[in-house]
Amino acid sequence: MTSENVLVTEKLDFKDAVAMAKKGTHCGMCRFDFLGSGVCPAGRKKGFLAYWPQGRMEIVKQLDSGRVKPTEKLKDIIESCNLCGFCDKQCNFTTQLRPEKVARALKEYVEGLDESEFQQVPEDNILHGLREIVGEEWATNDPVIIASYTMTILPSDTELNYYVVMPEKTEQISKIIKFANKNNIPYMPRSGGTAFSAAAPTVLAKGLSLDKGIVIDLYRLRKLEIDPESCTATVGAGITMFELQKESHKNKLRALAAEAGAHVCSNILTTGIISTWGNRYGAFADNFIDLTTVDDEGNIKQHSDWERNNPYSTEPGFTNLSLTPPSIVTEAVVKLHPVFDDEEAVLVPFTNLRDAYRLLIKLGKRGVGLSLAILSRKYLAEFLSPTLQISKDFDYVCKNYLKLNYVVSAICNKDDKKTIEDMVDYTIDQSLMKSLILGAPRFSSLKDSEFMKILSEEEDPLKAIFAGPMKSHLEKALDPSPENVAKVFDEDLQDFFKKVYSKPEMTDIVWLHAFRILPTRMMRQQMFMGPGGSMWTGDEDHYLKWIQMFSDMGDKLNVEHSLGFISPLDHGKFAYMEYDYYYNHNDPDECEKISKITIDSMEQSLIMGRVLTILNYLFKGIYRKEHVLYPIAKGITKEEQELFRELLDTVLGEGA
Amino acid sequence: MVKFLSQEWIEIGKNYMLEKLDPVKDLKSITTSLLGIVEHIPPNDSTMNFYLELENGKLKDFIVNTGDTFEEKEATYEVRGNYGTYKSVLQGEMSLGIAVLKNRLKVKGSKMQALKLIKPLDGVIVSLKEITDEFED
Repeated sequence: MTSENVLVTEKLDFKDAVAMAKKGTHCGMCRFDFLGSGVCPAGRKKGFLAYWPQGRMEIVKQLDSGRVKPTEKLKDIIESCNLCGFCDKQCNFTTQLRPEKVARALKEYVEGLDESEFQQVPEDNILHGLREIVGEEWATNDPVIIASYTMTILPSDTELNYYVVMPEKTEQISKIIKFANKNNIPYMPRSGGTAFSAAAPTVLAKGLSLDKGIVIDLYRLRKLEIDPESCTATVGAGITMFELQKESHKNKLRALAAEAGAHVCSNILTTGIISTWGNRYGAFADNFIDLTTVDDEGNIKQHSDWERNNPYSTEPGFTNLSLTPPSIVTEAVVKLHPVFDDEEAVLVPFTNLRDAYRLLIKLGKRGVGLSLAILSRKYLAEFLSPTLQISKDFDYVCKNYLKLNYVVSAICNKDDKKTIEDMVDYTIDQSLMKSLILGAPRFSSLKDSEFMKILSEEEDPLKAIFAGPMKSHLEKALDPSPENVAKVFDEDLQDFFKKVYSKPEMTDIVWLHAFRILPTRMMRQQMFMGPGGSMWTGDEDHYLKWIQMFSDMGDKLNVEHSLGFISPLDHGKFAYMEYDYYYNHNDPDECEKISKITIDSMEQSLIMGRVLTILNYLFKGIYRKEHVLYPIAKGITKEEQELFRELLDTVLGEGA
Repeated sequence: MVKFLSQEWIEIGKNYMLEKLDPVKDLKSITTSLLGIVEHIPPNDSTMNFYLELENGKLKDFIVNTGDTFEEKEATYEVRGNYGTYKSVLQGEMSLGIAVLKNRLKVKGSKMQALKLIKPLDGVIVSLKEITDEFED
């Protein structure tokens, strides 16, 4: 069996490689070793994005479109790739693509070019100045390397007259900024770039991208030290959440983690880490003990410096939008939290959202659970299913037979588990979750089964399946095993995936919540945009009406949509909600619809009030949550709505 | 057409705004003052500032100085940025709003109030764009 959206031939011609490259969503999962199967050696050694699998895929696109011509550097890029196939394993797990095949096609394409087709790139004084700061190897103006940064910091329609520089130390960043200022050149830092990749195909691209100047790629700031005594970690800007979590776990500690590929420092800076662990572990400035930052004059500062002006406060209100970070966080001392021996996952299934919401907020206010969230059916289906088609069928079975639309998911210790079990009639236990992961292909094939049809006729199918004798029948029917789940992957990768799914952590819901390697599967459908924000939870009807507003917008514009998750914050007084829209980022009409939803949903949210939208979240992560979330926002007035529209016109262009 | 921050720029700018801008229609009858601080001016990496004052939509003062302070009057708003950023705004490559939201121009005081000013200041920016065509390299 083969996955459905992959061209599984031994070799791709260049045209097929372009088609696959266009499906790439820049999730960045190829840049760290989340499967324990190795990570791209060329990328590790050379650093620049062009040497990583995702960068090579972008180069293929850019060469095909004619935006960039081959340069001498392109030869080095293809020679650096030894076609080891590490990237195929990683990418196939998350998005089902095969970057190694794209790299192979690129190699053949470049080897077929005539020597006269490679352009020489002239150097200039700016490049020389940057090289004096970081060393010859770590600054470039090569258009092919620059092109690889498209969609993750650079827009797709500008000339490629940028520089990319890779500093290794905070002091070098300070010098780069001073140099840039002296020469009047804009700059922007880049970590993972995935957040921008979601915005890049939309109206937000212009506001959030670098229009010209210097890309400061922070990958080489790789410091990672755990101090078990103080339960802290010192983390450089090039370190991902996964890498931090892995080191923390060796010491029985856990970091508040966003998606596996998110970079710790930039994630703190950008949104203060949006996570299902936020109710217990905190948000915004709760995340860190100290930060090292470089401001836009190149001054190096410590957050802990008692002589400086208060670095924790920010102006409230809807006009407090920022499209770039206030400074570059080069290093963070983050808080770590204990991992308990008796931690378990408890999932409570629900048919309707109101019931799930009530339980969530009740638990949030009581401080139950370490990680606590409502996950939608779509989320569950995407995370647990190894392929897109299986996730669609999984979703169908949950919706039509089980009436399972939401789960309240809690990671908690024994006492909290008992509290939850006392509050509800039934839960999905760890054993059944394991069976659903290893039996996902079989579960999705139940789409046409008599067993499911009979089950759906029960008065409460959820109770029948999760609290009755049918549970053991279902577990048996799923025939869960690493062999069975591996069979749905491309034939040449099946042995590998059998080993992957044999690892205990791959079916350990607590581990999966902490390491968050599965959310990227949402990007295998091409792209998603997840607007939302934090809303005050004091008015249940208001909160649910807010979610309905997002749903109505999706229906109206005929875009596939679904609630993502809701997670309490600040002892349940607020709850963060992400609502997801799935779209083809290569289709301009669909991108236009997503742009409209992004802007309209923000405007409607502001009118409704009591909400801090995701756009207001941007670049507020280093401030105290008390300054960001409070005072609770009132709905904007007609006059303010006009101001908001004018603001958007200014930022995005007339008629946005 | 003149060089940004030159004395001639001030004189022509003043005349242009007085002639072309309607205090009610274009400048929304605003009363405000603004100190634009321009840093990193080539070739010597120097700093200059310009003070602009409007009263009921009428241009009252437009003065250029060296350094980053104007001691004679205190402006309601202070907008600080690189020479390159001002150049981008005056050449139409970047709007004033986006320069503020991207932190390329830093506003001292409430961002809410500053953004409210952007629309009325459009006329001023358009005028300065019209008259400015020479910059330091």
